[in-house]
Amino acid sequence: MTNHWRDIKHADLILINGANPAEAHPVGFQWFVKAKLDPTKGPGSGGGAKIVHADPRYTRTSALADMYLRIRTGTDVAYFGGLINYVLQNKLYHEDYVKNYTNASFIVKQGFDFKDGLFSGYNASTRSYDTSTWTYETEGAALDGPAGSTQAPAKRDKTLQDPRTVFQLLVKHYSRYTPEMVSSITGIPVDQFMQVAKLVGEMGKPDKVMTIVYAVGLTHHTTGGQLIRSAALLQLLLGNMGRPGGGMNAERGHANIQGNTDHAISWEILPGYLRIPAPGQKNLDGYVAASAPKKSDPNSWNFFGTNYRNFMVSLLKAWYGAKATKDNEYAYDFIPKPAVNSSWMSIYDQALKGKMEGVILSGMTATSIGPDSNQVLQALTKLKWLVVFDAFPTTSSEFWRAPGMDAAKINTEVFMLPATHWIEKDGSFVNSGRWSQWKEQVLPPDGDARHDHWITADIFDRVKTLYRNQGGKFPDPIMAMTLDYKDPKKPELDEIAKEINGKDLSTGSQMTSFANLKADGTTTAGDWIYTGSYPDAGNLMKRRNGVQNIQQNDPTGMGFFPQWAWSWPLNRRVMYNRASADLDGKPWDPKRPGIQWNGTTWVGDVPDYPATMNPKDPAAWLPFIMNGEGVGRLFSNSMLDGPFPEHYEPYEAPIANPLHPQQSEDPVAFLYDQAAGRPNRFGKVDKYPYVATSYRLTEHEHYITQQVPLLVGLQPQAFVEVPQELADEKGIKNGDRVRVSSERGKLEVSALVTKRLGPVTLAGNKKVYQIGIPIHWGFIGVSAEQNPERSKYWLANALTPMVGDVGARTPEFKAFLVNIEKF
Amino acid sequence: MAWQEKPLGFFTDTSICIGCKACEVACKEWNELPGNAAKFTADSFDNTGQLDAQNWRHVQFIEQVPDNTGMVVTPTPIAGGQAWLMMSDVCKHCKNASCLEVCPTNALMRTEFDTVYIQNDVCNGCRNCISACPYGVIGFNEDKGIAQKCTLCYDRLQGGLQPACAKACPTESIKFGYVEDLHAVADQRLATLKAAGYQKAQLYGRDDKVYGGLNAFFLLMDKPEVYKLPNEANATLPSRNNLPGYVGGVATAVIGLVAGLLAFRNGRMNGNGANNTTTTNTR
Amino acid sequence: MPPAEHFAAAPEWQWWILGYFFFGGIAGGSYALGTLLRFAGDPRDEGAARIAFIASFLALIPCPVFLTLDLGQPLRFWHMLVDTSEGGVAFKPWSPMSLGSWALLLFGLFSFVSFLAAVADVGWFRAASPIARILRGGAGLVWSAVGTVFGLFICAYTGVLLAVSNQPVWSDGGWALGGMFLASALSGSAALLLLVARSRRDVDADTANRLEAADRYFVILEALLIAIFLVTVAVAGTIGKVLGVWIVLWLVVALGLLAPFAMARWDVARRWPPVAAPLLALLGVLALRAVVIFSAQS
Ligand SMILES: Nc1nc2c(c(=O)[nH]1)N[C@H]1C(S)=C(S)[C@@H](COP(=O)(O)OP(=O)(O)OC[C@H]3O[C@@H](n4cnc5c(=O)[nH]c(N)nc54)[C@H](O)[C@@H]3O)O[C@H]1N2
Ligand SMILES: Nc1nc2c(c(=O)[nH]1)N[C@H]1C(S)=C(S)[C@@H](COP(=O)(O)OP(=O)(O)OC[C@H]3O[C@@H](n4cnc5c(=O)[nH]c(N)nc54)[C@H](O)[C@@H]3O)O[C@H]1N2
Ligand code: SF4
Ligand code: SF4
Ligand code: SF4
Ligand code: SF4
Ligand code: SF4
Ligand SMILES: [Mo]
Repeated sequence: MTNHWRDIKHADLILINGANPAEAHPVGFQWFVKAKLDPTKGPGSGGGAKIVHADPRYTRTSALADMYLRIRTGTDVAYFGGLINYVLQNKLYHEDYVKNYTNASFIVKQGFDFKDGLFSGYNASTRSYDTSTWTYETEGAALDGPAGSTQAPAKRDKTLQDPRTVFQLLVKHYSRYTPEMVSSITGIPVDQFMQVAKLVGEMGKPDKVMTIVYAVGLTHHTTGGQLIRSAALLQLLLGNMGRPGGGMNAERGHANIQGNTDHAISWEILPGYLRIPAPGQKNLDGYVAASAPKKSDPNSWNFFGTNYRNFMVSLLKAWYGAKATKDNEYAYDFIPKPAVNSSWMSIYDQALKGKMEGVILSGMTATSIGPDSNQVLQALTKLKWLVVFDAFPTTSSEFWRAPGMDAAKINTEVFMLPATHWIEKDGSFVNSGRWSQWKEQVLPPDGDARHDHWITADIFDRVKTLYRNQGGKFPDPIMAMTLDYKDPKKPELDEIAKEINGKDLSTGSQMTSFANLKADGTTTAGDWIYTGSYPDAGNLMKRRNGVQNIQQNDPTGMGFFPQWAWSWPLNRRVMYNRASADLDGKPWDPKRPGIQWNGTTWVGDVPDYPATMNPKDPAAWLPFIMNGEGVGRLFSNSMLDGPFPEHYEPYEAPIANPLHPQQSEDPVAFLYDQAAGRPNRFGKVDKYPYVATSYRLTEHEHYITQQVPLLVGLQPQAFVEVPQELADEKGIKNGDRVRVSSERGKLEVSALVTKRLGPVTLAGNKKVYQIGIPIHWGFIGVSAEQNPERSKYWLANALTPMVGDVGARTPEFKAFLVNIEKF
Repeated sequence: MAWQEKPLGFFTDTSICIGCKACEVACKEWNELPGNAAKFTADSFDNTGQLDAQNWRHVQFIEQVPDNTGMVVTPTPIAGGQAWLMMSDVCKHCKNASCLEVCPTNALMRTEFDTVYIQNDVCNGCRNCISACPYGVIGFNEDKGIAQKCTLCYDRLQGGLQPACAKACPTESIKFGYVEDLHAVADQRLATLKAAGYQKAQLYGRDDKVYGGLNAFFLLMDKPEVYKLPNEANATLPSRNNLPGYVGGVATAVIGLVAGLLAFRNGRMNGNGANNTTTTNTR
Repeated sequence: MPPAEHFAAAPEWQWWILGYFFFGGIAGGSYALGTLLRFAGDPRDEGAARIAFIASFLALIPCPVFLTLDLGQPLRFWHMLVDTSEGGVAFKPWSPMSLGSWALLLFGLFSFVSFLAAVADVGWFRAASPIARILRGGAGLVWSAVGTVFGLFICAYTGVLLAVSNQPVWSDGGWALGGMFLASALSGSAALLLLVARSRRDVDADTANRLEAADRYFVILEALLIAIFLVTVAVAGTIGKVLGVWIVLWLVVALGLLAPFAMARWDVARRWPPVAAPLLALLGVLALRAVVIFSAQS
């Protein structure tokens, strides 16, 4: 989230796409309700904010929304594209904002083009883009700044008239997204789309603000990154980024998934979103040059780019301590430079091919969570060993019990290490709003369970001992690792939190801000974005000054509660908040100020800006301090699949892309089978005529709650949601057992027949049904054990395709083709 | 903080219930109710089924989605909680409580907070209250052999806490407090909804028309019957049948006795007096 | 009148309660018949009257047992009488169950004493002879008259107990149920006495004939009340519940009602064993209670 949960109540309009907050974020949903209920806000008195929910299914969120749009899954780029087009065509954008706070005026390089569904630079044989034309025309010499973080300034046309400006290219690109086109792609009738467009169009006024809320209904697509970007473009055009009540708000997953991501849960990043070095980046200079954003405007602070080296060196110092010296480039060489993609989808192919010896699963269920469960099950049979840290048996720790498995023939040795659950340990949870909130241990560990970090530390200690005693290839990174804990085999989470914050090695005090991190080896930071969370004064994540005393704890009345826990960066509650004020530093909407210039300093939220920088100073920084342009990017070369979001069909789709049928799908998406040298397995609409999507229910948390009898009672067994009309056609009655099959597998479950789902009408009058598949079941858990026969085919991911987004390689869980029959 | 000895209750605003069932689970956790055996009912998202001895809160799901391809704007039937009604049902803690009327042991009592409470150690499991409660609230706990229902968290109230279900409700659909305060909140909410065009919105149990008023009252988005709540006309107390029942009984008894006497006397007079095979035993 | 909407849950009153309603009815009804026979004033009826009092008490014995066994907490049966919550007695006149508990206790006393007197008279239990002596004459009449009030109460209140609820059918049957159960208790008790009378020589044959006559009155009364009950239920819109599969039980009820007449009228009935008609009538009494108890809760 650029903003935070409590802030949602400041919105006039809430667009929810690809999220079902009432079910997946029920506690957070209170703020949507408050936005609606607050009679002082929004159009008219007593009305409150309006909620628009676009979802393939009418859900518990839709039930409380003011408008519900039945959208075909995987088509939100077209929906947002249509809104962008409407806003541009009718000049409803926030003009001052667009001109000054976005790169609308930047001139794009000659050679950039978009034709027949492809951007310039496409290479069909490598299925990738050469992005060199996706940049700006520049003039003059490179700007000042640390090595590797600058380039020559981009040319700009502040009148936005030049046809090569980002703005004009944007107008052209989205002019194809007419209401009719939107309707033929998404299935949303034109009149309904226009009603929403009118509401959204109002939100470009400075005294109006809209928030866009999304979650994995947008990310779980081959176009996931672009789906989100299309919404962000709309927000930039309406001037809603950086403002209270606005922003792009990703509702995150598990209670601490934000913390996980911040601390590098995925293979391609280091803590704090520093990039993992790539082969060829032989030294720090090369790494920084390839990784840091480039300053491309004289007034851009480019804070991230400028400090990139400071952050990286401080990280290396935190990890390798005294062994990280100027001479060895602070042990830069200790960081592996993976030559192959090691994302979730790719590693199971390595296993399948027998190239991977073992896997450690800590707090995740390989078999249930990823696409194509049957393939993953096969992959696990090829391992020598599998270690599972968990409090419960899972479909992974018991994978040999899956239907169709012959345990006698599986040689994988499985180790189940009892791990504590979060309730049995202290530590922080970082919520979607980036608030890191410290919690206490509630229960003592059960039985022999140990904390994950103790298990890991113990394993590490043993590995280290083996290296010490037996030697090995390149032991240095192992031997050099600092484990500055009272008991290195039982580190305390408090000690780790302190280490993450980092310290000044010359004084020994804790760092208070990442702005003070240095590249000379005198500071440490385990994760620079958390620097400031644990100063000498103590662990700020423990703070609890909240609604007990609103006057005192929320002095601005804007719900920032600066003394409640701690949020990154630097306890800022709304990111990019400089953009909440106009050029002179006055809030766009005085009723909803983020920060404002009082003549000498910025007041309000923790400013995303130098606290005393006078906005009227000609040298004042531009508002988006983190990127090279200093402004919001309507056009960006940071995406691998195009500088502007474009609608591509899912790989299994009921129709060809109405925009460019010859280039129907995303040309660069990751095709797992093809990449592994096997034929792709995609179902076609003749055999699998129905669109399916998978999702959560309030009553369960993925797979773990299959172990919680009270929750099992609320939703005791696997089912699929079937549109009433389709059920009538197929003779399926409510409660009947049905078989749902895809090119990859099948489910055998009960049918919940409902009018909440129904057909959409697409291009050329094609009527298409969507079927809903909750994900929560498998062959392990209370209800599965009670019904072993019935529960054999309960893994939702037996159906899903192994295909993913080009950047993050997020699987396409949310759009695939199936057939359904009664049995 | 301790609660004053004034009527305490719930205002459950169904227009903002998201059917998350946190209330159901919180109640079970607090009251250590294991729940009934799990059963998939295919009744929308409701697999709990009813209020009973294991379910002292029960979230109803009532689907009335019109045939429709998608959006309709406020306040037409699909928007604002009207197409898929969700309602967290609970004991109403009636001012005139049917259950309380019939309980022969006085296990059912009214507390100092004007709530209706079953004393576990007094109840002998006769189940008369079950037949009386017009809302199907009370259930028989087979293990304990007694009738059980929502206690309005009497134990928590005594400790100055609020009921577990209200505490857990994320949207504040369940509001807990002094009934008089809740009335004001409810009136305001209803006015807002009406002004926004939700003509079917109504308060249930706010006034004294059903059972003299309900300490746990509701804002409904449709007619009470839709939520399986008796409407005003049908909100009747068991005791209404006491007088007619006994009068009917007495009348029948009188007629029966007279008829019997007649039969016995007539028969003897018309029959032959000589026929005497009387008793062998002496008086 | 719009159909009543009922959302009450079923109390799961089943076999024990059916048994209680049946035996309670017989106990109360028999007692009343015994009293009537005495009031009719012919000493030749005394044998039948004694049997009635004995039957009354014997039928009463299972009643508290059934009632107690039906409780979820049988050991707390006494909570019906003693208020363990506030102290004192638990007496709630507007709760038929509370009233019924007291009535059962008191009727038990009357029934027991009358029973003792009767057995003493028969010569089985001489120790009770003093009681028998006291109950001869006016005192006895008063005693059995008062006992009859309680006995008939037991017959009728079970219907009121059902009616004083919010169950469909029961509460719709409203004022008819108590009377209906009472009438059926009288006819059932008459049938029982006939059954016994026919198998014993110590009952005057003429008494038996007159019992038959009384039984026919009771049956007419019962049939009338059943009709009223069905009409009230129909008006309330819940008649569907008591029909359906329950038709079978209604047939038994009808047979029970017709039996006494068949006995009197048709030759074919004469060829039945003499106990057939009373047995059918008793079955009818059972079926009537069963259909009312079970159908409403189904
Ligand atoms: N109760 C519960 N809560 C949870 C979780 C849980 O398991 N149970 N899991 C947590 C985790 S890890 C996560 S990541 C979050 C996820 O939170 P959400 O993303 O909100 O959850 P989902 O149910 O996966 O998907 C949301 C909605 O997206 C819709 N959808 C699917 N495809 C599309 C599309 O193309 N466009 C649009 N507009 N909508 C689409 C689905 O129908 C669904 O209603 O939830 C978290 N919260
Ligand atoms: N088709 C389809 N597939 C999906 C999705 C979808 O929408 N559709 N959603 C995807 C998403 S967003 C996610 S996040 C995944 C979720 O998938 P998972 O993360 O695998 O699911 P969980 O059941 O939440 O957690 C996994 C295990 O962690 C254990 N655990 C909990 N706490 C701890 C702890 O402190 N230590 C240890 N060691 N173990 C612990 C639990 O007992 C549980 O067994 O599923 C993904 N899969
Ligand atoms: S499960 Fe926890 S994190 Fe998720 S909504 Fe409930 S309280 Fe929030
Ligand atoms: S709702 Fe039922 S159980 Fe609750 S007080 Fe009223 S009658 Fe009694
Ligand atoms: S079951 Fe218990 S609470 Fe209910 S009426 Fe009987 S004694 Fe009273
Ligand atoms: S008040 Fe207490 S007992 Fe009643 S439903 Fe709520 S949590 Fe359960
Ligand atoms: S907790 Fe609140 S929102 Fe959730 S189901 Fe219960 S009443 Fe509704
Ligand atoms: Mo997730």
